[in-house]
Amino acid sequence: MKKINTLIAGTFAVVAALSSCQRGHDDAGLEYAPNMYNSVGYEPYTQIEKNPINADGKNMREPVAGTVSRRNYKTQFDSSSVDLMIYHIGKDELATAEAVLKNPVPNTAKTLAEGKALYGRYCQHCHGETGAGDGPVADMYKGVPNYKADAYLNMNDGHIFHVITHGKGRMWAHGSQVTPEERWKIAHYIHKLQKG
Amino acid sequence: MKSSLFFKKMRNISRLLVVAMLTTVGFSAVAQDGDAANGESLFNNNCKACHSAKDEVVVGPGLKDIQKRRDLAWLVKWVKNPNGVIQSGDEYAVALYNKFNKAQMTAFPAFGETEVKDIVAYIEKANTAVAAAPAAAGATAAAGGVAAESSDLFTYILVALLLVMLLVLGVLLAIVSILSKAVSGEVGAGDGGSFGDKLRNGLVAMSKNSAIRSATVWFFVLMVTKATLDGLYGVGIQQGYAPKQPIAFSHKLHAGQYKIDCNYCHTGVNRGKSATIPSANICMNCHGVIKKESPEIQKIYSAIEENKPIQWVRVHNLPDLAYFNHAQHVNVGGLQCQQCHGEIQTMEVVQQRSTLTMGWCIDCHRKTDVNTKENAYYDKLVQLHAEKSDKPLKVADIGGLECSKCHY
Repeated sequence: MKKINTLIAGTFAVVAALSSCQRGHDDAGLEYAPNMYNSVGYEPYTQIEKNPINADGKNMREPVAGTVSRRNYKTQFDSSSVDLMIYHIGKDELATAEAVLKNPVPNTAKTLAEGKALYGRYCQHCHGETGAGDGPVADMYKGVPNYKADAYLNMNDGHIFHVITHGKGRMWAHGSQVTPEERWKIAHYIHKLQKG
Repeated sequence: MKSSLFFKKMRNISRLLVVAMLTTVGFSAVAQDGDAANGESLFNNNCKACHSAKDEVVVGPGLKDIQKRRDLAWLVKWVKNPNGVIQSGDEYAVALYNKFNKAQMTAFPAFGETEVKDIVAYIEKANTAVAAAPAAAGATAAAGGVAAESSDLFTYILVALLLVMLLVLGVLLAIVSILSKAVSGEVGAGDGGSFGDKLRNGLVAMSKNSAIRSATVWFFVLMVTKATLDGLYGVGIQQGYAPKQPIAFSHKLHAGQYKIDCNYCHTGVNRGKSATIPSANICMNCHGVIKKESPEIQKIYSAIEENKPIQWVRVHNLPDLAYFNHAQHVNVGGLQCQQCHGEIQTMEVVQQRSTLTMGWCIDCHRKTDVNTKENAYYDKLVQLHAEKSDKPLKVADIGGLECSKCHY
């Protein structure tokens, strides 16, 4: 009699103990053979231990000083092929950019659709869906212009390209996020927004 | 003494009167000159981004009482060509330019005297309307009450649940006593004893019955086996993992409330294997201006100053033996981030929502149709597939289940 009672009580305790074993959110749980999880080769964004070869202990290495990224080298557009070379017009030379630059990307329906998608990714949260400067972040950020306002109605491609690359006023530089090709496509789409 | 006090009071009152008279004169004068309605639309389209109609600084100075600070001719000259006014050496303009960190105002060459007058009229109107604003504050206070009510509701629900559980307990006890009576066959046995005695007698009678005994033992054996197997299957699965990050970044705020696209920060997601974690300069695109003083954002500043990367804790980790590429899934496959990562835009702390097991990958590859529309690359594949099968082309049909696609 007693045995059975103990048996039942014991099983209860085991079940209760097992089911309460849910791990906390900070615990990744048990890994079988962790060396299969942690890459032997150097992976981006994974570093388990200090790197003995690089002086700073990081796996990642900075590019050699003076390296220039040419993200759109030999870029092809519909029929024409253009090299979107390094952009070397300085931050303060907006007027030069306005005068010199021409949009190498043909203005087609496809370009506009791509421009719209890119605008949605990189611009819309501040500049707003219609370019009225009423995106959800603009209230907090302040100083976001309306593309349809007189002062912005006639911005040309060079102006837009330069401002995306280097920023202007309160807007910071977005050149590291948006490739030259993408900037030209966005410029086409902004012209569409200017016209409303 | 007394007389001097009296004079002081009189002087104060007369001063007040003069100020009041001046302001009314000012208002009526401008109200006659400018069209405030037109001014409002001009202001909202051209000025509002950088200037407040009140006295707070947005980007440039607040424009309240601008008509008292500057005369109309100066304002028109300034609005038409701010740079020209600064270049001409105008003392006020140069001081203003230096005060606002040499940020130059956009020129509005199309604006003339009429436009500036209209805008000034609107600014004055906006400031006279301020007095009426406090009445609206009552409404916001009422909104605060709703939040308090909802927490009350939570307590009520808890109490109700507790009551239901007590009821269930009562019913269970009743069932036990009825069953025990039925098993022992002694209707009314232990009638005279206390409730505890009854319960004990009932359980003893039940445990004597071999059928009930073995059923209970089997039940628990099965339960324990299931729990053990579940535990073993869970080895290496990190679903639910939500580690604390070095900076308390909230996706709920950035992606949810402010609707910043995932791509804005995770720029690699369309281009390469890794979605990429944003470098500090992307944080600075906004936080160079917004919320600079917050201690969490100060951590980004010190990371930049010390030139040390922020050591985020990796949440989603595939074993080294499996290859995964974001661009292939997001750019080519057109998947939404949420399909694998869950409702990221509602997460205060990012949590791994999917299991990331091989079964989970394969399951999706079997179910998902390939988007072959308007893509010449797939034309022949679709044609060949249509000859053999009448079902749509799935990822599995174009090699989505081949071992060496992911394991090599």
